[in-house]
Amino acid sequence: MKKLLFGLIVFFCYRSMAQETFPVNGTYNKNNTVYVFTNASIYLDYQTKIDKATLIVKNGLIEKVGMGIVVPKGAVVVDLAGKYIYPSFIDAYTNYGITDAKPSPAPQPQIESNTKGAFCWNQAVKPETDASKLFVADPQSAAEMRKLGFGTVLTLQKDGIVRGTSAVVSLGDGNENNLVIANNVTANYSFDKGVSGQDYPSSQMGSIALLRQTYYDAQWYALDKTKKEKNLSLEALIAQQKMPQIFEAHDKLSVLRADKVGDEFGIQYIIKAGGDEYQRIEEMKNTKATFILPINFPLTYDVSDPYDAMMISLDQLKHWEMAPTNPMAFEKAQIPFALSTSDLKDKADFRKNILKSIELGLSEKEALKALTYTPANILGMANKIGALKDGMMANFIITSASVFNEKCIIYQNWVQGIPYEIVNYNTIDLRGNYSLLLDQKNYKIKIAGELNAYQTTVSIDTFKYNAKVNLAGNNIGISFETKSGAIRLAGAVNQKATNSFKGKGQWEDGKWLEWTATFLDSIKAVEKKDTAKVKSEIGKLYFPNMAYGWTEQPKQETVLVKNVTIWSNESSGIFVGDVLIQNGKIANVASSIKVIPANAIVIDGTGKHISPGIVDEHSHIAISNGVNEGAQASTAEVRIGDVVTCDDINIYRQLSGGVTTSQLLHGSANPIGGQSAIIKLRWGLAPEKMKIDGADGFIKFALGENVKQSNWGPRNVIRFPQTRMGVEQVYYDAFQRAKEYELKWKKYSALSPALKLNTAVPRKDIELDALVEILNKKRFITCHSYVQSEINMLMHVADSMGFKVNTFTHILEGYKVADKMKKHGVGASTFSDWWAYKFEVKDAIPYNAALLSQMGVVTAVNSDDAEMARRLNQEAAKAVKYGGLSQEEALKLVTLNPAKLLHLDAKIGSIKMGKDADVVLWSDNPLSVYAKVEKTFVDGICYFDAQQDNKMRDEIAIERNRLIQKMIRTKKEGAPTQKVIFKKPRLYDCDDLETDNED
Amino acid sequence: MKIKYFSIFILAIILFTASKPSAQTAVAPSTKAILFKGGIAHLGNGKVIENSLIGIKDGKIILITDAATARIDGSVFDERITITGKHVYPGIIAPSSTIGLNELDAVRATNDFTEVGYINSHVRSLISYNTDSKIIPTVRTNGILLVQASPRGGLISGSSSIMKLDGWNWEDAVLKSDDGIHLNWPEMNAPKRPRETDQSYNERVKNYNTSISNLTNFFADAKAYSQIAHDEKNIRFEAMKDIIAGEKILYVHTNSLKDIIEVIAFAKKFEIKKYVLVGARDAYLATAILKENNVPVILARVHELPEKMDDDVDLPYKRAAELFKAGVLVCLTNEGDMEAMGTRNLPFQAGTTVAYGLTKEEALMLITSNTAKILGIEDKVGVLEENKHATFFISEGDALDMISNNVVKAFIDGKEIELPNEQLQLYNKYKQKYGLK
Repeated sequence: MKKLLFGLIVFFCYRSMAQETFPVNGTYNKNNTVYVFTNASIYLDYQTKIDKATLIVKNGLIEKVGMGIVVPKGAVVVDLAGKYIYPSFIDAYTNYGITDAKPSPAPQPQIESNTKGAFCWNQAVKPETDASKLFVADPQSAAEMRKLGFGTVLTLQKDGIVRGTSAVVSLGDGNENNLVIANNVTANYSFDKGVSGQDYPSSQMGSIALLRQTYYDAQWYALDKTKKEKNLSLEALIAQQKMPQIFEAHDKLSVLRADKVGDEFGIQYIIKAGGDEYQRIEEMKNTKATFILPINFPLTYDVSDPYDAMMISLDQLKHWEMAPTNPMAFEKAQIPFALSTSDLKDKADFRKNILKSIELGLSEKEALKALTYTPANILGMANKIGALKDGMMANFIITSASVFNEKCIIYQNWVQGIPYEIVNYNTIDLRGNYSLLLDQKNYKIKIAGELNAYQTTVSIDTFKYNAKVNLAGNNIGISFETKSGAIRLAGAVNQKATNSFKGKGQWEDGKWLEWTATFLDSIKAVEKKDTAKVKSEIGKLYFPNMAYGWTEQPKQETVLVKNVTIWSNESSGIFVGDVLIQNGKIANVASSIKVIPANAIVIDGTGKHISPGIVDEHSHIAISNGVNEGAQASTAEVRIGDVVTCDDINIYRQLSGGVTTSQLLHGSANPIGGQSAIIKLRWGLAPEKMKIDGADGFIKFALGENVKQSNWGPRNVIRFPQTRMGVEQVYYDAFQRAKEYELKWKKYSALSPALKLNTAVPRKDIELDALVEILNKKRFITCHSYVQSEINMLMHVADSMGFKVNTFTHILEGYKVADKMKKHGVGASTFSDWWAYKFEVKDAIPYNAALLSQMGVVTAVNSDDAEMARRLNQEAAKAVKYGGLSQEEALKLVTLNPAKLLHLDAKIGSIKMGKDADVVLWSDNPLSVYAKVEKTFVDGICYFDAQQDNKMRDEIAIERNRLIQKMIRTKKEGAPTQKVIFKKPRLYDCDDLETDNED
Repeated sequence: MKIKYFSIFILAIILFTASKPSAQTAVAPSTKAILFKGGIAHLGNGKVIENSLIGIKDGKIILITDAATARIDGSVFDERITITGKHVYPGIIAPSSTIGLNELDAVRATNDFTEVGYINSHVRSLISYNTDSKIIPTVRTNGILLVQASPRGGLISGSSSIMKLDGWNWEDAVLKSDDGIHLNWPEMNAPKRPRETDQSYNERVKNYNTSISNLTNFFADAKAYSQIAHDEKNIRFEAMKDIIAGEKILYVHTNSLKDIIEVIAFAKKFEIKKYVLVGARDAYLATAILKENNVPVILARVHELPEKMDDDVDLPYKRAAELFKAGVLVCLTNEGDMEAMGTRNLPFQAGTTVAYGLTKEEALMLITSNTAKILGIEDKVGVLEENKHATFFISEGDALDMISNNVVKAFIDGKEIELPNEQLQLYNKYKQKYGLK
């Protein structure tokens, strides 16, 4: 760019907007100047480019744009030959000009909201928040965004679960009255309670339940004519339902969770995503949502130290490589998306990151669409911004080249018809190679780098010096340091192309000399083809995208295991024979199977054992963002099923220990916990596909020290209950309310339509819905329990309220009330030998399982521990040692019996023709400490194979090394790096609160 | 059930509601010479005698030999017990344990293993050790007969002592008092805890340098102190004298590879002759340097999850075999969550290593002879050998496998100890209530 232009002289304060209603101090300065840009290449929208076009701006609007337009008189005319005009960018998700909400930490558990007034009971639900009322222009941030090409943003206070409404604001300077383009634009949500110090919700599943209940409350409030309760929050929420609804989700699974909530209430959210959605793009497509994608990518890790590099996991390495492909994945899947700067720590990375995505395959057209058309649509302002058409707002940028060209310079950003200069397009571009004649010697000068940040070297013979170039107007200064001292040159720049400049300089010793620099040629773009090619090579996506993930999901096979010791759990007992697996089912079990299906894989099982898959009645794996919603005594409304994760390595590890089915339980922080999810360990599939179709619903109850917060420290002494006495009353109260609730609905439902019109609608309560299900035998209780008094108590409550307890879990003093349990018909799911970890387990005995079994109580041994779960066979074996159970009965403790407790014994738990092919092939007697799992099948699919596992280890090592080498190259190329920090994976057990730090 | 046990059981039932039996129901020491005939003797040093003769007298093993080849004078023995087909093992030793120092994890009043302060070289676990702990009998039942009762916490936790799981009080239960001092090595690259804030993490990282310099200064001061006599005593430095002199063992609790390298360099700098790594999860990656410096390892739990997501899923199961095969002297500990009560599973942790690379006899070494060597008590216990303490047990079946571990007799210093524990008593009590057999 050597050609010089006649440019505009821009005065920020000179051209500004005025407010009609505001008086002026001094004389009025009306300015209706018309600006005309000619000969530019103009993008009318993301897909329409016209060349040699004209754009006319008047009063902040585009008067006319197109080709063959007559230039009006009395206008400022700018010739933009060789330059480009684009509609300026729109960011559909910012908090520009909004101050952060302030946290108010409470010294004690905060049970109620701190928000004063007639608002929602929960502090994280604040739909009454109106961003336009909080908005105060922030010139510094605005300038930063304008520099990137943005002209308009959506802004909101990103705090709370129901966040209120957003505003569309302009990134100009000046008075807010002019900058706020629209208020109450979108309604906003998240699962993050933000600064709210209120205890509830303390987990993501709690956030989901709170949001669902709030929607139901709004529906009810809208219908309720009595309005006994004035609720400004619900009124605001009702009023917002017509706006576009934006949900901020931080990761791919939260996206799916948000969409599921939306589906329940007929709401199609626009989803602000987290950046890892490429890992489940099919599921993203199925949400039918428009997305707002962040454009922040993980920094390169410093892996130069191989010991440090061991601390980084394959999922981090792969995400580092693949995060920039996220927008491309959406483009390929034809999912509409906008791009946002919102998650960028340093906004300056925006351009660099977009270019990286483009380099990896995102099309420029899609990138432009994601910055103009799509966000304009999200804002509902496609008729005003995001394109350049007659009558639209004069929001555009003038650039030196195609906007996604690496070299492109944004000269000016026009916002609402006001120009903001970023780079003066009169700036002389000095970049090039020169020969410097100095003291009769020929030096070479190379000026490269960016227009405002030159990188300059001066060289002679084999010497090379870094130099500094300063350009002020037409005065140039060049200085560099040699061994003997600094040489400083000053001179004048010739304004014409192929600059040569000359002047005087001062030598190291202070002597003045003449110098001349003559332009030789332009800097050649570095041949990047090869490195670019290496860069764009991206590893395969794994399911899940981590170590031991699949590149291809394993499929159902026909497998015949011959001559194997079969632990049938049926009347046939333990015997040597053949097992045929076909179409996901056990197709045949016999002492000898003669007819071998053609496609069958035949395994010689001589000396080996085959057992039903292990069923863990009490597990907390595969759960994200909290296992306890312990903030209230009853949280029957929360559902583990809402927060199942498929990315937990413990799923794979437990497959390696023969586990095929797990009940994922809520924790034990409160008497009535949340609803369980029952999954099969279908490693690699999305959460919804791991859940067992048609399984009965379960719910966690809990008794004893955890629910009365005995070991929670001195801070937690105010939430009811704090004693076993209180626990009983929580149950009576809850079930009494549930009964009354059910009756209320029954009465209402029985009314004629006419009468219904004149009757108050009962409020739907998702907590009580779950309890009513228990009363109606549609949901079943697994109750965490230790001492006999409370076990007895719950059975009494159940008898008097008309329900049954399905399972007592832990039940370490079950042996003391085995007769009563038998009579109640409740099952037991216990630990093999745990005790002495708190006061209430001091009487726990390892003979418990054996004694309960002998008493005819259906008894299981469970894990409650991600480690122990992969050795549940060994834990079952302890019942042989402690209490002398037969080996056959002992294995049932972790297979058939838990299947019975989960009401799944018709499908799993034994090796019987027609049952699901959930089986484990062992190297030895499965109860022996010396036994190893060779293969684990779920639905006839081999999800764990010891030999394949060995191969995967090699593949993991290769893939790790490839990525580490790539990181090192990237670092060498100058990418900023971050230190490797080993992040301990989160493991849950019953007592864990999401708010705790885990050591 | 043997008659003797049964009568004790009845007595126990009678006394149960009034006063629970003491954890220590020690039988009077026997001076009788006893001969055990026909047992499968697992010597603890890798060898087995399928048909053994074992003689004990005055608390010592006076004879151990192969019945098939040896001729002995049977008249020397007051009692002969035939144990054909049963398995005999040296008493299992649980190193780095809180047995006797801890009763119920969540009940503060029963936690006696962490003292206030950062450098507590002077505190001694021996004093906290409760011979009447209710956990002790439940652990003995599975063959664990010796523990190293170890203090926890801080940078230097204090001295451990090696205890026999039998005795009226700590004074007569102790096998070796103040056997060594426990040091918790600071982590150079501390892992970030789930949900930990950056601020809290960065503070911890900063603390590393402070801790290392405190530690270095403390050792330098202690070393200087040990070189002359003092009128004014510093009890922390006093406690360090035997470590400096190489007479006691420094137990360094550390895990990661870089820290292991730091520990070895630190030991060299201060010329610490006897030290042992405890935990040492990454030791399998440092076998060469460990061997070169003769550093033994008390290895972290076999039954735990791999630390890192990418780790081999069976890494904790096979680490012991990797160290063993590389020639590193290694034994097993159950240090960690719920450690005291879980110690009864130590034989099964050893058993698991058999499925992952070791032989059964090698696995046994991890909880007997190797432990004794590492703790410096190999002259007394750890193997079935003449002149060693008669501290051993007899199991109906393979003691390393939970389906066959069934300890029927156990002796500590030649004294037969009682195996039934309160848990068994509760079981029997309720069986009786329900009329179960």
